Amino acid sequence: MPASASTNRPADLIGRLKSSEGEAKLKALREVKNQIIGNRTKKLSYIKLGAVPIVVDILASADDSDASLLVQSAAAIGSFACGVDVGVKAVLESGAFPHLIRILSNPDEKVVDAGARSLRMIFQSKLAPKYDFLEEKKLEFLLSLLNSENENVTGLGASIITHSCETSAEQKVLCNVGVLCRLVSLLEGSLNQRDASLDSLATILKNNSDVISKFVGLENGRALSAITELTKDRCPRTRLLACMCLIVIGNTSPCYLQGVGIKTKLISILVELLEDPGQVGEEAPFAFASLIADKEDVQKLAFEIDAVDKLCNLLHKGSVQVKRFQGILLALAEQCSKLENCRSRFLSLQVLNMVTDALNHESVDVRAVACLCIRNVSRSLKNLSAGRFMNEKIVTPLLQLLHDPSTSIQVAALSAISNIVIDFTGHKSVFIQSGGVKQLVQLSKSMDSTLRFNAVWALRNLMFHAENIYKEVILLELTTSTLASLICDPEPFIQEQSLALVCNLVDGGINSIRHVFIEDGNIINAIGRQLRTCSRSEVCIQGMYVLSNIASGNEFHKETVMHQLFPPQAGEDTQSFMMKFLQSNDGQLRTAAIWCIINLTYPDNPGASSRVVKLRSAGIISQIKSMVNDPCLDAKFRVRTVLEQCQLLPAA
Amino acid sequence: MSTSKKVITREEWEKKLNDVKVKKEDMNKLVMNFLVTEGYVEAAEKFRMESGTEPDIDLATITDRMAVKKAVQCGNVEDAIEKVNDLNPEILDTNPQLFFHLQQQRLIELIRNGKVEEALEFAQEELAPRGEENQSFLEELERTVALLAFEDVSNCPVGELLDISQRLKTASEVNAAILTSQSHEKDPKLPSLLKMLIWAQNQLDEKAVYPRINNLSTAALEDPAI
Repeated sequence: MPASASTNRPADLIGRLKSSEGEAKLKALREVKNQIIGNRTKKLSYIKLGAVPIVVDILASADDSDASLLVQSAAAIGSFACGVDVGVKAVLESGAFPHLIRILSNPDEKVVDAGARSLRMIFQSKLAPKYDFLEEKKLEFLLSLLNSENENVTGLGASIITHSCETSAEQKVLCNVGVLCRLVSLLEGSLNQRDASLDSLATILKNNSDVISKFVGLENGRALSAITELTKDRCPRTRLLACMCLIVIGNTSPCYLQGVGIKTKLISILVELLEDPGQVGEEAPFAFASLIADKEDVQKLAFEIDAVDKLCNLLHKGSVQVKRFQGILLALAEQCSKLENCRSRFLSLQVLNMVTDALNHESVDVRAVACLCIRNVSRSLKNLSAGRFMNEKIVTPLLQLLHDPSTSIQVAALSAISNIVIDFTGHKSVFIQSGGVKQLVQLSKSMDSTLRFNAVWALRNLMFHAENIYKEVILLELTTSTLASLICDPEPFIQEQSLALVCNLVDGGINSIRHVFIEDGNIINAIGRQLRTCSRSEVCIQGMYVLSNIASGNEFHKETVMHQLFPPQAGEDTQSFMMKFLQSNDGQLRTAAIWCIINLTYPDNPGASSRVVKLRSAGIISQIKSMVNDPCLDAKFRVRTVLEQCQLLPAA
Repeated sequence: MSTSKKVITREEWEKKLNDVKVKKEDMNKLVMNFLVTEGYVEAAEKFRMESGTEPDIDLATITDRMAVKKAVQCGNVEDAIEKVNDLNPEILDTNPQLFFHLQQQRLIELIRNGKVEEALEFAQEELAPRGEENQSFLEELERTVALLAFEDVSNCPVGELLDISQRLKTASEVNAAILTSQSHEKDPKLPSLLKMLIWAQNQLDEKAVYPRINNLSTAALEDPAI
């Protein structure tokens, strides 16, 4: 029968659905169903023509004994909802949900199947209604689904859990009514039941150590071994789901996933699944990334079985589907997060170009993960030193991403840039000439504190070991007033980065120190202001090191620091922040403060004696004397240096 | 050529073979599994009656599955699609590749029957959207549509699409998809066993000379060549 018969056009069929009765109606309905199954384009056409409410209406008004009509309408509804968000929306808005639930208790098994399948389609979409497990009647209903003999119905129960179970309270409630036991018994059911069960189990166990320990205790540990066995199953999907279950358990309660043996097995199974051409191969790299994330020991094991090579080979195979590409990049990013040998291997396998190209990818997720990858790989000091990353091919796309509509992409790009600008060869020119400074400065003034923080961090790293001429360029673009306000930023972590930036600015001798004095000493005044009011140790430490570095300069520099320590407008009774820091509980802060004193009292300088007098009268020297046995060794030894220096100076 | 391999005579070999015990039930299960997976319903029924071996699948579902397979093998693709959807509407909804191949087969049948205009319309209405929805189908789509460009279809570069083998390929794909949806393994166990045999013999070949099975259908032992 040709597809072009005029009576089978969508508009005609919809007309027949509305107007005809009995056999004619059923025939039209069946025809619609057969046209839309598998055919996304047709589904969208029918949805646009308003077919969904009509079909739902048929389901709603059909008699409980009219099996054919119920089956066909339910199946059509399920198909509209299959993989098409617009369809799910239309189905839900037409009120199909309660009717599909209703037919689950129909005496005809085929009707039940149709209803269960369709509901499962709906629950695979994020748009499905949230199921309230905490409500008694809903929980009972869910249990009745799980306890059914019908495979489609138990599958529905499992998919409801996978979709809606989010909070630990929900996980607990499900655990308490014996859902875990039922799901474990379904592991011995058919292939589909097993897979659905594994998916739900992972959802209930995720991030919940209590539920995990209950699970592990089930049947004397047999539940856990059942899942471990399933990681070796014939079916790749089962292997993947079983691995994901174990990963979920291991990430929250590592005690159950001890031992090199099981970890190595999981890595090899996942690496092998990466080769799967279907959906399993798309999801496998994400599971792999989850397994190795933040775990150096597991990353090491993965490296030893050539995971980096295998991942890179997949990229070389060419034309990788989007989701899979994202997954592989994520896996590589995690693999290179801590280990230098992984990073070296990655760079030697010639995939950096692909990752750099991915910075321009149309998918926002791929762009994000490409930034992450570059950030992690550029943690390699060896390659940073060799100037491996400081070239236009990498810098230009990263700078472009600073204009990306998504803030999280901007942040990701900033963190990659932060690493790349730490260039020991001094090739900051590439970055600076690409107009990067302007963009970083722009972002350092953002309202979003995360963006500000990351931008300042990038500038700090850019300033590190930069040639003087570049320091001037950066400061000119940034302006002292902006830097001063960043030093006094409302967020302490931004204050810290800003002070660290100044530290890098003044690092490098007299010629660098003068930068903080330009424009009426905006910067140094801001530092003093901050140190007077600040209470967070990290910020104070950073500030003290700045002052120490400045105090290592000439007389003028040292006197300015003294001026900040003892501002003339402060009353006689106000204690200098120097005293406060010397008395701090934080050993690092005490040490930083003492360094400052060392530089101020350095003997070879004309004003050293008078500075010592001033310090003595402020009680600083006695304070330092009292610290000869400071528990912090750094502080203790530096205290000695101060006292030795003071002895060398003629008493004023 | 001197060989350091161990030599096993026919006598020794047969003795070793006799010592290996294989259970009758296991063999029966293998046979049943083969009949059921391949879809030989009547044979499976008879075998069940005569041997008492229970099939691992409901025989009624085999009948439905075979009807679909037969429809494709006869070129009645539309009928096959309706039957699959009655069996389980999820199969075609979640198997874009299979759906594409079925639509492709429909087009091939239209061309085979000389219905050129209908074929053109079908290609436009039904196949082109598949290519839009999924880039990986474009190449095959182009090959299939190329059939429309040739006067003498059976002799053109893509003529093999008109072969019966193409129908069988599609039929096999549908069969496998239905089996998977029913949680059944899509491949019978018997071929795996034979593959294992071939592999084991190849491994053993490196260490010994012994009576080999070279013809799988007769399973006859052939004396080692010395």
